[in-house]
Amino acid sequence: MMNVVRSELARLRRPKLLIGWFGLMALFALMINQVMFSMAGDPAAPKSGPGVSFPSAVELAGPSGPVAGLGAAASMFGIVTLSFWAIAVASDYSSGLIRLLVSAQPDRWKLLAGKVIALATITAIATFIAMVFTVLSALPAAAAAGLATDQWGTDAAPVLAAAWINAFAAMLVWGVIGLVLAVVTRSSAIAISIGAGYVLVVESIVRQSLGDGANWLLGSTLSALAAGGNQALAYGSAATMGAIYIAVGLLIATVVLTRRDVSD
Amino acid sequence: MESITTEGLSRRFGRVNAVNSLTLEIPEGGVIGLVGPNGSGKSTLIRMLTGLIRPTGGSATVLGSTIDHPSRYAGAVGALIESPAFIPALSARRNLTSLALLRGLPLTRVDEVLDIVGLAGRDKEPVKSFSLGMKQRLGIAAALLPDPRLLILDEPTNGLDPAGIVEIRALLQHLGGQGRTVIVSSHLLAEIEAACDYIVVIRFGELMFAGHIEELMARTRAHIDITAEDASDHDQLSAHLEREGWSVQHIEGALRVSAEQSSGAALNRSAAGIGITLSGLTFAQDSLEDIFLAMTGTTDGELAADRAAAAMGAVA
Repeated sequence: MMNVVRSELARLRRPKLLIGWFGLMALFALMINQVMFSMAGDPAAPKSGPGVSFPSAVELAGPSGPVAGLGAAASMFGIVTLSFWAIAVASDYSSGLIRLLVSAQPDRWKLLAGKVIALATITAIATFIAMVFTVLSALPAAAAAGLATDQWGTDAAPVLAAAWINAFAAMLVWGVIGLVLAVVTRSSAIAISIGAGYVLVVESIVRQSLGDGANWLLGSTLSALAAGGNQALAYGSAATMGAIYIAVGLLIATVVLTRRDVSD
Repeated sequence: MESITTEGLSRRFGRVNAVNSLTLEIPEGGVIGLVGPNGSGKSTLIRMLTGLIRPTGGSATVLGSTIDHPSRYAGAVGALIESPAFIPALSARRNLTSLALLRGLPLTRVDEVLDIVGLAGRDKEPVKSFSLGMKQRLGIAAALLPDPRLLILDEPTNGLDPAGIVEIRALLQHLGGQGRTVIVSSHLLAEIEAACDYIVVIRFGELMFAGHIEELMARTRAHIDITAEDASDHDQLSAHLEREGWSVQHIEGALRVSAEQSSGAALNRSAAGIGITLSGLTFAQDSLEDIFLAMTGTTDGELAADRAAAAMGAVA
């Protein structure tokens, strides 16, 4: 198994891929903080947008304020994660590399497990980078918005650790969804289109018609997980749902990868 | 011992039998040519042997292990299947390193195979900058990584220049001479003839021939192409020769008579006997290509028509 993980990591260490992944996570962290803090004091501002929720000024001023952006923009970070997982998986098919990989390691579930572990490792780093940029940009954004920051720094280590763990857990689910879509469609473009289209369009539309039921939709659930639970969904429920998504996703990917012909 | 055995091996895609109840034994050691026209089932057979696809019928073994459990022999098999496949943005070395790590091989093996295929000086360049021939060499290097007992190469000389083809041919013969089994799938019959000791010919997924290349070449026929000074005499000459018991075939601008080289003088005398002067008399032997075409058909169009007819027959 470790052979597969090391092999995957050797292929994932592509400068352009990693710069793109980490760069987008950092960019979204900076952008969401700017928007989130600037809207905090505006009573007319919407409470959410496609893939984004906007915490209140009270929440932003609390001890978790510096990392609130991670949970608020979890779906946006999630789309980035889904995309790069999909690219990493689908490129094995588009390049034909899957033929070499399967002939060298015919136990296909090991290939899948190794890829998941390697991508999860990179995702952990990407989440950490997003958190660093979220924290670094929070102070100037709060100052520009005139928000009090006296509670920031209270229980800093647990707050940061919880923020990273929750965001990483949510990213992991997004990543597994990207992996499943890529294994099934064998195309990163289709996988990304389905993932982004769902979050930005489908879930927004469905949310209008479902009312409270919308809290159980994928994007909402994972936003609640990334935020450590919210008013709509408790942390335990969100974590359970996240675990179910991962289990079902990996089951589908394993069945498809192990049973389907490698014809690419 | 056989490197590969198949017993009624079949693979069906919809109505098409890509491999149809194929039974064969490929000996261990040496260079073996796997030939057949496009769509004959070569790639499907290779994919089944390397665990990429599963058969719909029959059974097969590779190095003594059933193909139901390819992990039992994967460590002893190297393969270049269809075209070389690598991450274009990564260097040749990094691509090979990732494959060596996957197989749990020491990274010194990467240097060895780069050296064998002549890419040692280009190993740090990204694969996307490689020519087709260099990618082909890299594909062979990847197949050689596990120091395989069985090496399966699909069109290994694709994209190589003449010097590269000679080099790779020598490499294949060297590898085959070391006791390994090297299976080369190719449509370049001259390459097969030059490099292989044993040949397997398949068509419509069925075995047409399996044996040493000398056995196949023993099927060759000799013929003499004759040309009358006046081409309008060809019909008369043809009829005359057939009356005398020769087998004659009209070819473009000449007549082809099935005969040994020693019959040239007799043909010339026979033509002169009816007042026809020959302006050309050329002896020739069937090539491997002639035998191959006689066994498998001529053009892709004809093959497609034959396959369609076979499929219709199967449905009926």
